[in-house]
Amino acid sequence: MIIHVENPIVEVHDLTVSYNSKPVLWNVDFTLPVGQMIGIIGPNGAGKSTLLKSLMDLVPTSSGFIKLFNDDLDKVRHKISYVPQRESVDWDFPASVMDVALMGRYKPKNIFGRFTKEDKEIAADCLKRVNMLDYANRQISQLSGGQQQRAFLARALAQQADLYLMDEPFAGVDAATEKSIVDLFLSMKKEGKTILVVHHDLQSAIDYFNWVLLINTRLVASGPVKEVFTTELLQETYGGQLTLLSKIGDLIKEKQFPMREQ
Amino acid sequence: MNEHLNILDFILLREANVRYVVLGTMLLSVASSVIGCFALLRKRALVVDSISHSVLPGICLGFILSGTKDPLFLIVGAVITGWLSVYFIDIITRYSKIKADTAIGLNLSLFFAIGVLLLTVIQNSGNPNQAGLSDYLFGKAAAIVLSDLYVFGSLAVIIILAVVVFFKQFTLVSFDLHFAKTIGLPIKFYEFLLSILTVIAVAIGIQTVGVVLMAAMLITPAATAKYWTNDLRKMVVIAAVIGALSGVVGVFISYLFANMPTGPWIVLIFSMVAVFSIVFAPEKGIFAKYFRQKKNKKKMLEDNILKAFYKLGEHDGDFFKKRSAEELIMARKFKRSLLLKGLRSLRKLNLLTKVNDSFVLSRDGMAAGARITKIHRLWEIYLTKYLRVADDHVHDDAETIEHIITPDLEKRLEDLLQYPQEDPHNKQIPY
Ligand SMILES: Nc1ncnc2c1ncn2[C@@H]1O[C@H](COP(=O)(O)OP(=O)(O)OP(=O)(O)O)[C@@H](O)[C@H]1O
Ligand SMILES: [Mg+2]
Repeated sequence: MIIHVENPIVEVHDLTVSYNSKPVLWNVDFTLPVGQMIGIIGPNGAGKSTLLKSLMDLVPTSSGFIKLFNDDLDKVRHKISYVPQRESVDWDFPASVMDVALMGRYKPKNIFGRFTKEDKEIAADCLKRVNMLDYANRQISQLSGGQQQRAFLARALAQQADLYLMDEPFAGVDAATEKSIVDLFLSMKKEGKTILVVHHDLQSAIDYFNWVLLINTRLVASGPVKEVFTTELLQETYGGQLTLLSKIGDLIKEKQFPMREQ
Repeated sequence: MNEHLNILDFILLREANVRYVVLGTMLLSVASSVIGCFALLRKRALVVDSISHSVLPGICLGFILSGTKDPLFLIVGAVITGWLSVYFIDIITRYSKIKADTAIGLNLSLFFAIGVLLLTVIQNSGNPNQAGLSDYLFGKAAAIVLSDLYVFGSLAVIIILAVVVFFKQFTLVSFDLHFAKTIGLPIKFYEFLLSILTVIAVAIGIQTVGVVLMAAMLITPAATAKYWTNDLRKMVVIAAVIGALSGVVGVFISYLFANMPTGPWIVLIFSMVAVFSIVFAPEKGIFAKYFRQKKNKKKMLEDNILKAFYKLGEHDGDFFKKRSAEELIMARKFKRSLLLKGLRSLRKLNLLTKVNDSFVLSRDGMAAGARITKIHRLWEIYLTKYLRVADDHVHDDAETIEHIITPDLEKRLEDLLQYPQEDPHNKQIPY
């Protein structure tokens, strides 16, 4: 069940992504509404991270096209913030929490200059919003998992974007931190921001999100959470029906088949 | 020439040639240390090693094709094969199942083997210009002349300037490549720039340090500098200083011994600085850690003695009674030698005085004993009340926490608990 919307903020058409010629996302096709908390849900290896990365052009796509703000990515980059999975960087890097937050103020245009006073104020303000101002001068190698996550969130906030793509912001954080992050997202939503979150827990997903994408290599469903969270669709996402698809994927890789006839 | 040089000549930079050597080595060391910081942070230390071995065939080809030892030709050859090895590693890991470390190992030995073969061919060719080409293996700083300095020096300056100009970009690319790409930085360009600057840094070191050991010039100062700071800017500066100083010292030592290769000396000095840093660096060094632990132990011992005094005083209703060591050991199982040591340091702090063979608390000592007892008891309450730990389990935890709590936390604890009268074991809390 895939519900499309008018004036979508994200439009993905017939997207296929492969790693080493093994497709991990097949013919994904959806549109997303503006100003919502949107969950991307699916089992491990379903291609959730890959989907976010392909939205940001971080992985090569085999087919399909993507429109953000009804435009090409390169024209609207400044309106989008991507928060990678926490483990994707080495935290034993000589930088402070403030340094990380300030990275959100980099623009390709201003990167040669120094940070302005305004940049620093914005970064400090964002650290305050995620409750990390006390840690501004702390070395990032000395942060706990939840604090690392919040440092990343501060960097994202500092970008002052309209669309946020977050890869598992709740992974490895305790209940209290999760609650404060959700509150933060809700306040961002109130400001009209759109937040796309990769999430694992089905239970809390119902509470957090207005709109949900269910994926497992292919898109199982996209729509308002109430309509999408049916036993049938969830079973389809997490159940075994998709083993055939992944078998074919392996076969394509084995035989070195091109994904699309050229 | 070397044989006649004495220490003073070197230190005073009396000979023009010595000046070239010192200046060249400094520039080279600074450039390689600085770019090495980014190689280290991007986890490319092994790639650098592969590059340094891969420039040898390039040097040989440069010589064969040009027929001279003109540094420009040699460098161009070195950069080309050095770059090729980076490219091959990238291709192999991307398009095959071979892991990066294996790909690096394969590349390194293959390129180096070809290099050694070419070198042998050249040496057997009877070309009179080839004398000294084998010095490129382990370096011979003394052979630097003015024309070399122009080529190597200007390349080194280019590397240093590039790092200064692109500092933010390099930082971002090294820390979080994906993020850098999402904000629209041309990361392919910056990655290429970092790689090519690394290759050039290796190539310009061939004369001073030699190909085999050049990797150490990039990685050791960076790794050492990381011990001294947590700030990337400072790390780069420290690496540069370490690089420059040890480079010159290494050259100097090799100068004293005729026919001694420079590379091994420089690397030896680098490694000594590295070992020194690992041991003595503040905060991260082994020594600092040892001293912190020792200081903590001393503080804990002193606190425990004061607490024992307080406990005895509480029992007798007299805090300023004379106590013998035996009495204190009865109150708390101290090791006798440790107890005496602790008593000595408490006397130095004027927290107690010695009367014959016994000890008496001073006013300050009594206050300190009361404070530590208070914190211990408050913490026990906090654990039982807020963390719901059973009251027969709280004592051991409080034993450690009482030494850590700062006056600020102490105040907060008091406010939070609202100055209770008794602890979970019904003991009075002294304020
Ligand atoms: N760089 C890569 N090279 C090859 N295969 C990859 C790569 N990254 C991911 N894959 C494969 O693509 C598939 C989808 O991966 P992806 O990381 O998008 O899953 P995910 O839904 O985010 O999983 P998780 O919940 O574990 O984070 C997996 O089968 C994974 O093995
Ligand atoms: Mg993932």
